Amino acid sequence: MLASTLSPDAASRAALRSLMDRLPGMSPVEGGGSLEPMTSNDPPVLRSAQMVEGNTLRAIRIPALESPPRSEFGAFLDGAQRVQVVGHHFGMPIVFGTASAAVRVRVNRRMITWGHQPPRVERRIFLPLKYLPALSDWRASSGDAEGSQWQIVDTSTADRNGDYPSQHPAVLLERAIRAVDQERETLEDHLAEAWCALGEAPLFIDGGISRSARVASSTCAVGVIKSHRTLYVEGDALRIVLGLEKGERSSVFRVSPRSRSSVLSWYLRLRDPKGRDAMWGLVRVEVAECERPVERADEISGWVLAETTPLSLPDGRWDKMAYGVRDCEEFLRAIS
Amino acid sequence: MSEALGRVVATERRPNTPHEFHFWTAIDSPVGIGTIVRVDGAHPMDGQIPHIYGIVVEGFSYTDLQSPMHDVMGHDGSPTTAGFAATERAEIRLYTAAVLRQIPEEPLQPVPMGQVFLADEADVQVALRMDSYLREGANTGIPVGVYRAGGTDAVIYLDADFLLGPEAAHLNITGVSGLATKTSAVEWLLASLFKHFPDDKGSIAAVCFNVKGPDLCYLDQPGKVEASDEVLYEKLGVEPQPFESVQYFAPYTAKGLALNTFRNNEALLDNVTPLTWGLREVLQFAEVLLNKDDVDAKADALIDFITQNVVDKEFSDPLLSKKHTVQSFADLDAWFRDVLHGMEQKDGESWRTHHVATIRKVRNRLSNISTRCAGLVTDSGHVSDLPFGSFEDRTVYVVDVANLEEDAQDLIFARIVSKLREHLERRDLGVKHLVVFVDELNKYAPGDGPDTYLRKMLLDIAERGRYLGLVLFSAQQFRSQVHRRVVGNSGTGLFGRMDPDELSTPGYAVLSPATRTKLATLEKGQLMIRHPHFTQPIFVRFPRPSVMQGREGSERYPQASEVSLESAILRALRPLDSTITLPWVQEITALYTEEEVIRARNATLLARPDNVKAYFVSQFRRVIPAQAASRPMAGSIKSAPENDPYGF
Repeated sequence: MLASTLSPDAASRAALRSLMDRLPGMSPVEGGGSLEPMTSNDPPVLRSAQMVEGNTLRAIRIPALESPPRSEFGAFLDGAQRVQVVGHHFGMPIVFGTASAAVRVRVNRRMITWGHQPPRVERRIFLPLKYLPALSDWRASSGDAEGSQWQIVDTSTADRNGDYPSQHPAVLLERAIRAVDQERETLEDHLAEAWCALGEAPLFIDGGISRSARVASSTCAVGVIKSHRTLYVEGDALRIVLGLEKGERSSVFRVSPRSRSSVLSWYLRLRDPKGRDAMWGLVRVEVAECERPVERADEISGWVLAETTPLSLPDGRWDKMAYGVRDCEEFLRAIS
Repeated sequence: MSEALGRVVATERRPNTPHEFHFWTAIDSPVGIGTIVRVDGAHPMDGQIPHIYGIVVEGFSYTDLQSPMHDVMGHDGSPTTAGFAATERAEIRLYTAAVLRQIPEEPLQPVPMGQVFLADEADVQVALRMDSYLREGANTGIPVGVYRAGGTDAVIYLDADFLLGPEAAHLNITGVSGLATKTSAVEWLLASLFKHFPDDKGSIAAVCFNVKGPDLCYLDQPGKVEASDEVLYEKLGVEPQPFESVQYFAPYTAKGLALNTFRNNEALLDNVTPLTWGLREVLQFAEVLLNKDDVDAKADALIDFITQNVVDKEFSDPLLSKKHTVQSFADLDAWFRDVLHGMEQKDGESWRTHHVATIRKVRNRLSNISTRCAGLVTDSGHVSDLPFGSFEDRTVYVVDVANLEEDAQDLIFARIVSKLREHLERRDLGVKHLVVFVDELNKYAPGDGPDTYLRKMLLDIAERGRYLGLVLFSAQQFRSQVHRRVVGNSGTGLFGRMDPDELSTPGYAVLSPATRTKLATLEKGQLMIRHPHFTQPIFVRFPRPSVMQGREGSERYPQASEVSLESAILRALRPLDSTITLPWVQEITALYTEEEVIRARNATLLARPDNVKAYFVSQFRRVIPAQAASRPMAGSIKSAPENDPYGF
C-alpha cells in the first residue's frame, strides 16, 4: 500500500536491518543499482497477422489531420518497476523489488492522479528460502518483514513439474526480476480494468491491451507499444512498415497471441525517420475489435499523433513516448 | 482551519535554514512576493507544534523541460502551434521565504517540513511581533497600512516607541519623484499618528518644511477620497478628513509685497503667518550663510564681537562719530561705515585688534545677507516667527521655503530646528514630541560634499534627537546618496517605487532580486516597510491622503501674482479686519514711502491688534498737511497816464 508513514528508503533500510539480524553472514551490497526488467529470452521474430483492412498491408496517410491536432485521450496508464540486489548470503541473491502503476488523468490540459483508483505500489523481498534455512521460519511466522510494507516472496519454489531452481545466483535473480515484472503487469491490468469499467474517456495505455480480456474488449482502452521485439509483418509488408513516413499508418490487422485476447492493431509513424534508424518514431497501436476498424484506426492515429507534443525528452524513448506516459513514469518515480 | 497552500521542500542542493525555507504551491495559488505564510511543523517539539512564519522573497517556476531546444523541436520551431499541445508540461511554483519568526523561538532550528498556510490577520500580528505592542492597555501601535494577500487584509502597525522614541526613532522615505509616494506617505502617516498616538505619551505636533511644489500647502483642505481608500481608512481607524489644525509660515517676496508661498491666495491667508527675522536672529546663524573661506578665525572673532557688544546695545567708541544702537541691517551698515570712516581718518590699520581688511570682509558678507535673503531678513528688525513655546497638540506647522534661494532655505532650516531643539531641551516648546519633516535629503544631508552646518544639524537630530522628543521624518529620491548616519539612524524605513539604478547600489543588496524587482514596479499607494520589530521588509498599501493635493489646490486657489502696494496691504490686513477697503488703504498710505507702508503692515500683522485700522495708521510718522499758501493781495497796478509814455 502507498499509505505509509515511512519513506521508501527508510522502509527498505528497516527491512534490510531486519534481514541482517536474522541472517548472520549476510553481505549487504552497497549502492546496488536498479536492474532492468527482463527481456525475453526469445529471439526477435517476425510473425504474420490476419489482415482486417484490405488483403495486403499498405501505407495509409492519416487523412486531414485537424489543426490544431486534437486528442480525445482522457488519461494515461503506465507502470514502473525497480529491482535491486541489496545483499547476498554466500552468493544467494537477496532482492528488493517494487512494482507500481498509476493512471494520470488530464484535466484542463494538466495531469493529475486519478482519484477513483489510487496509484498502486507493491514492495517485495525476494529470497531463495530453500537455500536460506535460517529464514525458513520467518515467513511462516509473520509473512512479511516484521510490520514493514515488504512482503516476502520465495524465489526457490518448485515449478509446475516439481523441479526446484538451481542454486545459480543468476537463475534466482532472474526469477525475482520476472516476478516483479509480472506484479507490475498485474497492477497495470487492475487499473486498466477499473478504468474501462467506468468507461469515462479513452485511456492511453503504455503497452499492449491483450493481457486482460476486459481491457482488450473495451472501447476505452488504446494500447500503444513502443518496442518491436515481435513484428507482425513479413516480406513486403515489413518493408512497407519500416518505410512508413511521418503521419502514415499501416493497414489494420488482427493480433491474436496465444493465451491472450485478440485485438486490432496497426503501425503508426510518429516522427520523421530520415537520418534515424528504421524503428524511429514507430509505434504499434492496439484497440478492441470494432465494427468500423478503418475509421477507428484513422481517428485514434490522429489522437496518438497529437500526443507527440510536448516532447517527452529527456527520456531516451522520446521519439515514441507520449508526454502523458512520461508524466506517469515521473509520478511513479516520485512515489515509489 | 484554512486549506493548505503549499508544502515545505528541501533538497541537499537547496536546504532549508533557520532563516530561509522553500515551498511549492499549486499553480493558481494566491502567493506572490511579499506574501506572509505560516508553516505548521509535523512533529511537536517539547509538546508544541512548531509554527514558522515567513515572507516570500523569491519565486521560481519551471517545467520538466531539460533544454529550451526540446520545446523548439517539439513544436517544429513554430511558436504559434506551441499552445495547442494536448497536455501542458508539468510545472512547479517554487517559492523561497525568509523567516519572520519561529515559535517556539528556542532552540532555533532549520525550518522543518510541513504544510504551508496563508497567514491570516492574527498570524500577521504574531509574525511581525506586533503582538508585543498591541496588547490591551499597552497599545502603542500606529497603523501604517494594510497588508493584502490572498484575501487577507491585515493592518500593519508601527510601534510608537520605535517611531518617535525613546527606543528608536526617525523615519526615512525613499522613492522616485512624481508618484505621490513620499509626501503622500508622510501626510497619511501624520494623520494616523495624530489619531493613534497614545494619550499617555503626551502631546505631539509636526513641523513640515515645504521645499518644493505646493504639495504641503493645502493640508487643511479636504481632498478626494475614493471608495477603495475609504475602505482602507475604515480598516485603519482614521477618519478621511483634512488636518484640523495647520499653521503656515512663509517669508515675503523680495519686493516685500506678497508672501512668497503657493498658498498666498486671499481665500487661504487666514492661517498663513509671515516669517521675517531681523539682524539678531540672523547673526546667531551667520555660519549657515558664510562659507568656511569667509569665516576664518579673525572674521569669526569680529562677528562674535558685533553680536556681543554692538547688536541691540548702545555702542560708543572714540573712533566713531556718534553713538550707535544697531537693531537692523541698515543700522549695522551705518555702524560699519562709521568704523571704517574713523579708521581712514586715523589712517589706522586695525581697530580693537580687528584688521581693516577683516572688517571690510565681514561688512561685505553680512550686509549681503539681507539682499540674499530678501523677504526673510528685514532691515527693520521686525521678527515674525513660529510660536516657539506655545506649540499646540496635533497641529501641523508648515514652513514654506519652496520659492526661496538656497541660502534662505538653509538659514530657515538651521534656525527653526535649532530653536525647536532648544525649547525641547528646556521642555517648554508646548508639545512633548515633535516630528520634523524634511524632503530632499539628498540636497541637505548628502553623503559626500562639504560638511555644511545644515548637514551637521541633521546628523545631530538623527543621532540625539530621540532623547529630546525631536523626531526626523526625512525623504529623498536616492537613499544611497544621503549621509549614512542620517539614514542609518532612522529606525523605520519606507520605500516607494524605486529607480532601478538606485536599487543596484550596495545598500539594497540585502534584498532578494524579486523584492528589488517588486520595488521597482510598486504602484501608487504601495510601500515597503522596514521597522525594528520586523525581521524582513513588509509590503503594505496606504490610503491616498484625505487632503487636497498640490496640483488640485494650485488650480483651485491660484497663487496670487505680484500686486500693487495698496492691494498687497489690503490682502494682508483684510483677514484681520474685513471692513478694510482698497480706497481706505490708498487714502492712508498715499503720503508715505513704500518702505514705511511695508513696515506698518508688518508691525500690524505682528501685533494683531483689536483695532487694526487704528494700529496701522499709528505706525506712520505724522505728516502735517501742507497749508495752502495764502495768496498775497496784489496791489492794483496803476494805470499809466495816457499822457505819460514812460509810465512814471
